[in-house]
Amino acid sequence: MNELLVMCQIAGRRCAFRANDVQSVIEIGAITPVPRTPDHIAGLTALRSQALTVIDCRRAIGFDPQAYSLDHRAIVVASSGYSYALRIDSIEDITSAIGEPGTVPGGFGAEWSNAASGLVETRTGPALMMDLSALIAGQVSIENAA
Amino acid sequence: MDDLLADFVAETREMLEASAGEIVAWEADPADRARLDTIFRFVHTVKGNCGFFDFPRLAGLSHAAEDALADCRAGRRTPDAELVTAVLAIIDRIAQMVDVIEAGEEFPEGGDEELIAALEPGAEGVTGDAVAAELEPEVGPASTEDGNSPAPKKTEAPAAQRSIRLPVDLLDRVMSGVSDMVLARNDLAHRLRQAGTQPTIDGPFERLTTILSDVRDAITRMRMQRIETLFSALPRLARDLSNELGKQVLIDLEGGDVELDREMIEMIRDPLTHIIRNAIDHGIEKPSDRLAMDKRETGLLSIAARQAGNTISIVVSDDGRGLEEEKIADKAVKTGLISAAHRSEMSRDAILQLVFEPGFSTAEEVSNVSGRGVGLDVVRDNLERVGGSIKVSSTPGVGTLFTLQIPLTLSIIAGLTVEIGEQRFAIPQSYVEEIIHASSKALDFTRAGENALVTFRDTRVPCLMLTDVLGAEEGEIPAEQRTMVMLRLASGDLFALAVDRIHSHGDLVVKPLAPAVMKAGVYAGSTLLDDGQPVLLLDVTNIASQHQLASDARSRVFRGAEEEKAKSEKPASRAMLFTDFDGRRCAVRLELVQRIETAPVSAIDLTGDRPRAVIDGVILPLVGLPDGPLPAEKVRLLRLTDGSGQLVHAVREIDDAVELTDTLKPVDTDPMIEAVTLVEGKTVTLIDGHALFARHGEVPEAAIKPVCRIPQTEWASTILAPLVAAAGYEIADDQETDEDVAILFDDEYQAALALDVEFAAPVIRLRDIPEGANMEETVYRYDREGLVAALRSASGAARASGSNR
Repeated sequence: MNELLVMCQIAGRRCAFRANDVQSVIEIGAITPVPRTPDHIAGLTALRSQALTVIDCRRAIGFDPQAYSLDHRAIVVASSGYSYALRIDSIEDITSAIGEPGTVPGGFGAEWSNAASGLVETRTGPALMMDLSALIAGQVSIENAA
Repeated sequence: MDDLLADFVAETREMLEASAGEIVAWEADPADRARLDTIFRFVHTVKGNCGFFDFPRLAGLSHAAEDALADCRAGRRTPDAELVTAVLAIIDRIAQMVDVIEAGEEFPEGGDEELIAALEPGAEGVTGDAVAAELEPEVGPASTEDGNSPAPKKTEAPAAQRSIRLPVDLLDRVMSGVSDMVLARNDLAHRLRQAGTQPTIDGPFERLTTILSDVRDAITRMRMQRIETLFSALPRLARDLSNELGKQVLIDLEGGDVELDREMIEMIRDPLTHIIRNAIDHGIEKPSDRLAMDKRETGLLSIAARQAGNTISIVVSDDGRGLEEEKIADKAVKTGLISAAHRSEMSRDAILQLVFEPGFSTAEEVSNVSGRGVGLDVVRDNLERVGGSIKVSSTPGVGTLFTLQIPLTLSIIAGLTVEIGEQRFAIPQSYVEEIIHASSKALDFTRAGENALVTFRDTRVPCLMLTDVLGAEEGEIPAEQRTMVMLRLASGDLFALAVDRIHSHGDLVVKPLAPAVMKAGVYAGSTLLDDGQPVLLLDVTNIASQHQLASDARSRVFRGAEEEKAKSEKPASRAMLFTDFDGRRCAVRLELVQRIETAPVSAIDLTGDRPRAVIDGVILPLVGLPDGPLPAEKVRLLRLTDGSGQLVHAVREIDDAVELTDTLKPVDTDPMIEAVTLVEGKTVTLIDGHALFARHGEVPEAAIKPVCRIPQTEWASTILAPLVAAAGYEIADDQETDEDVAILFDDEYQAALALDVEFAAPVIRLRDIPEGANMEETVYRYDREGLVAALRSASGAARASGSNR
């Protein structure tokens, strides 16, 4: 299967989103913070007349965003009828997958196992396939579930 | 019935309705060609449409009428009264047939031939008479109306109102497209402002703005309907039911202006009707029982709709006997819904909610009205299917209160935007009872333990800090100096929300929030401000219940009675108490006070013959200023109105609205003083509103800003223009505008002078160097004070000449 993937860096690792899930890549403007929400929700930002929920992927997975660079662009994805803007270290490229995502022995480590659905080989090398709903739910719910 | 057929019926109906007036007018004047055409089109369309369906009789009738009318149109025949009657009879028959088709029944045989025969020239209009008589009462008023206009030929035939059916998601798409367009426009407006005035672009841009706002209105209306349309049927329903059951019920409707999706109105029609039936049947007692319980003979049923972000809450409350916990629990145990052990653990509230379980009816006797198997469980199911919910609370002997929550996928609400720190939040206007400015002493802010309290209309009201609610940092403004927004919940509970300041209010398009954000429980949705910034809409109901401020069981009905009582006891007139700049305690009748304004000193103009202030772009006469300089940078102003005239009264401090309970002692010595009275033991001077308005009142005119022409240079448009605008001028944007004052560089002026150019308006001349030639007549271009002073004096002159005009 040659699925198109959007490649990016999250917390210093190469990650991939399905191009089908990605609506667009936007320049991120002003972010309105939302008090009383989990840390990984950075706030709201406007995309035309739509308000997007901004998710900091690094925090959602469980890393400190301060330790990594931050792209001024964000990946816009839709999940169960709502749109989110994902903040990552940097957006790299669009490439196609070689084969289905699979697991590797030993896993990816505690944080990554929750956020990634598997390892996918691409034309530009291996990348972690991100699990959108886990990213959006963030670390808090993962801890609760555990 | 299949869709196509439904469309046919709907279309025919619409055309019938639209052509009803035409038919009557045609009857009055059979020679009227325009009416003839309209009616011909109608029968022609019916005939055409019949071709799709198997309605031979309908086709035959319309075909016959069409033939006869075609003859008239072609001039082969002159329409006469007989023909009109015959055609009317056929149209009437078509209407009847359409009704029957819609009901899916068969139309009684026969009769068509006579109607068709009556169309023949020279035929006796036997059947026609009967039909015309039938038609008459319906169209009577219209015919007299049309009869009064003897020249109907000149009036254009109104186009029939047509409708089409559209999928809702298409509407949604159009709607969000328009929202995007509005934002794009705002963005463009912003850029245009930055680029300075450009006559060639501004005109079309203005037009675009107007069109866009029209389109936006139309789109909004496409989906929305006032809940009134649902409410309007309720008084009749209540009346019929209470008559049938021998009860007396007064129905009280509130919030009819709440708008919601047409679809949603249809969704809640049945549940609401059911709850009302229930309330009248089971809730409200018979008049004799009510009297025995010391209640008013007439039961009160109140239905209130409120909007909160993406939810509409409808509260139906009655002052009947209330739900009986024991009876419900017993029944639940008996039907095996809960076990006896389970029951003892359940709270009263939980037991009451059992009425929504399937197969539950506590009515002892099954009446004609309710309790026939269609229970509250169906109501709950229906509401839950559209994502709503229902709750009940009740106090025995006092009443029952049903709260329905219905979601709105999309809604436009009036909202108030407030600020804490740098961030803005929106509050639905429907909750806002009043806004109290921080400095008002009436508030009497106190702390009771961890909680804060304020005094509002003589009662202690809990007060929440928005900063605490949101876990935000405490701002610089101390708690007791924040602005209080008094919020009333649908249940009737009141609380104060302290915010740093009010930002604005206006219509907000509410969009749903992602589940992760909704989980916080304090937001109801988000909206975008004009500048495209997202703003969170606060969920007032949830915030209140998180802080245990909402009491479901407290009956609105009871409170209403209390308030009524309080009202009837105190007919005293109210006045606004303030301290003027001479330190006198004064009062002005509250009816006169329109608003309390805070204006910067720059809004006050002392140059004219009497002081004026510019408030919201309107120039108003100003009274009450102290002699000498103003003591502060901002002045508190009372904006007074007598209905047409307005003026503002400057005050040192605003105290409170008080009731004038003590006797008013008239004062003769000063015409501006109506009386002296005592408030809380201290004398207060009551200002004579009559004398005040007689002397100073003016019907306000919008401040038409004087126009200033500035040089056409980069420097002028970027550096000079803002200064001129700040001094209260409009910048002349094209060559046609007559300016009130012009600013010119001195060299330009000299050049113009040399060419004998006449100046229509006073000219302010600018020089490039601080010190130089013509020091007296020119102003150095960076001499801000000098420029402002020159503009001021020019504006004074302009106004003087303007008032002479």
